[in-house]
Amino acid sequence: MVWGPMIAWYLFLAGASAGAFITAAFVARKYPDSVKMRVAGRLIAPVFMAIGLLLLMLDAEAGMHDPLRFVYLVLNPGSVMTLGVYFICIYMPVCLIAAILEIRKTPVPGWLDWIGIISAFCVAAYTGFLLGVVHAYPLWNNAILPILFVISALSAGLAATSLIGLITDRERFEQMWLVKKSHVILSAIEAIVLFTMLVIVNSGSPEGAASVHSLIAGQYAPLFWGGLVILGLIAPFMIEGYPVFITKKPETSTTSLVVSIIGESGVLIGGFVLRLLIVLAALPVAFL
Amino acid sequence: MARYGMLIDTKKCVGCYACRIACQMINGLPSDEAFIKFYEEEQGSYPNVYAENVPVQCMHCEDAPCQTVCPTTATYTTDSGVVLVDEKKCIGCKYCMAACPYNARVQLHPSGVVEKCRFCWYEGEPGNPPACVGTCISGARIFGDLDDPESEICKEIARTNAQPLAGDLTRAKIYYVR
Ligand code: SF4
Ligand code: SF4
Repeated sequence: MVWGPMIAWYLFLAGASAGAFITAAFVARKYPDSVKMRVAGRLIAPVFMAIGLLLLMLDAEAGMHDPLRFVYLVLNPGSVMTLGVYFICIYMPVCLIAAILEIRKTPVPGWLDWIGIISAFCVAAYTGFLLGVVHAYPLWNNAILPILFVISALSAGLAATSLIGLITDRERFEQMWLVKKSHVILSAIEAIVLFTMLVIVNSGSPEGAASVHSLIAGQYAPLFWGGLVILGLIAPFMIEGYPVFITKKPETSTTSLVVSIIGESGVLIGGFVLRLLIVLAALPVAFL
Repeated sequence: MARYGMLIDTKKCVGCYACRIACQMINGLPSDEAFIKFYEEEQGSYPNVYAENVPVQCMHCEDAPCQTVCPTTATYTTDSGVVLVDEKKCIGCKYCMAACPYNARVQLHPSGVVEKCRFCWYEGEPGNPPACVGTCISGARIFGDLDDPESEICKEIARTNAQPLAGDLTRAKIYYVR
């Protein structure tokens, strides 16, 4: 395999960063009093992105020997990687400034927030297109992968932010129905999109079918079912869905706190596992 | 302008790996890094089966996917159609390795640069002939200008009806007799 866990981490962190920024912007608008959660999202965004970029650079061996070469990354606008660099060049400073403003307790101007939201979407989508344009791997080369990555990015960013909201400011967090609802809905959409993608890839080519098989029944099956489907999709859906659709009242017990923490962590683990599996399980089209 | 390409006759290839070693020598590669990879294909039907040796290296694709994705423009194509890597620009991101459908790219160590067959390009010209062609013990390889109908390679492609390895997977400039 060309890429490994390091790139999977990068794809995950970039996506979760974008998701966290969007979550913070959303919370700022809908729940101006939920300061802790908003600040959490604002801080997670640049930190995750920075760690991700570091990993990305560490994986580029020749660049590490001669870091000035990274400047050349802007030269080929026809490459999705170069496009990603453009997006990150906008996104990273914006989310850094937003974080600094937030730390200094100055309100983030609306226009800055919007630039951040749009560039965050672009960053999340580019991580999907990066793989999506590679014809050699049917598991990547389909129109659904970027959508899946964007949804999973939103979901992971929301989970990272919620996790902190849940621990630091539980009372408020339990009242944020819109956040909770979005969370449940995102899990459901992600499951449907994942399923659709696997069906399409499976029917598209023998190599695609072999990749899908390795995920659902082959060497990656334990990670796929355990890490992605159960921990990353079903558990969070049920854990968040229960108060949102069944009891319809805020939880206060310690048990529910623990269960919620498991749910949010599950989304994060699932988000990473998704990217790891997509990177590892892709098989190239045969040329002989 | 010439448009360089190669013909490989798998019927003549005996699988001696001489081309691969010559390539490693001229490019200074260690024994575990090579620009030519060998694949064995089972051919024929019982009882007349045989193992076909298929040496595979960079096809110098006219629509090179490796070049499209290369973010630094380290990968480029010369006027004569040879796909090259500028080792001073490559950051080793491996995007080209992912994009190449022939598994033709190799990450070199310790530099981290991703390289491949370059038709022994040296000082603005390809090798005359490249090392693999010059060294082949059975004459299974021909190198030349695909745009010159009088060239040995063009005549041989026409005579043997040689085809690229994988149909229209990419517009490859290495032709195979199989
Ligand atoms: S064979 Fe691979 S490395 Fe060579 S030009 Fe084509 S895509 Fe690029
Ligand atoms: S590894 Fe080097 S040649 Fe390949 S895409 Fe990256 S920068 Fe370009």
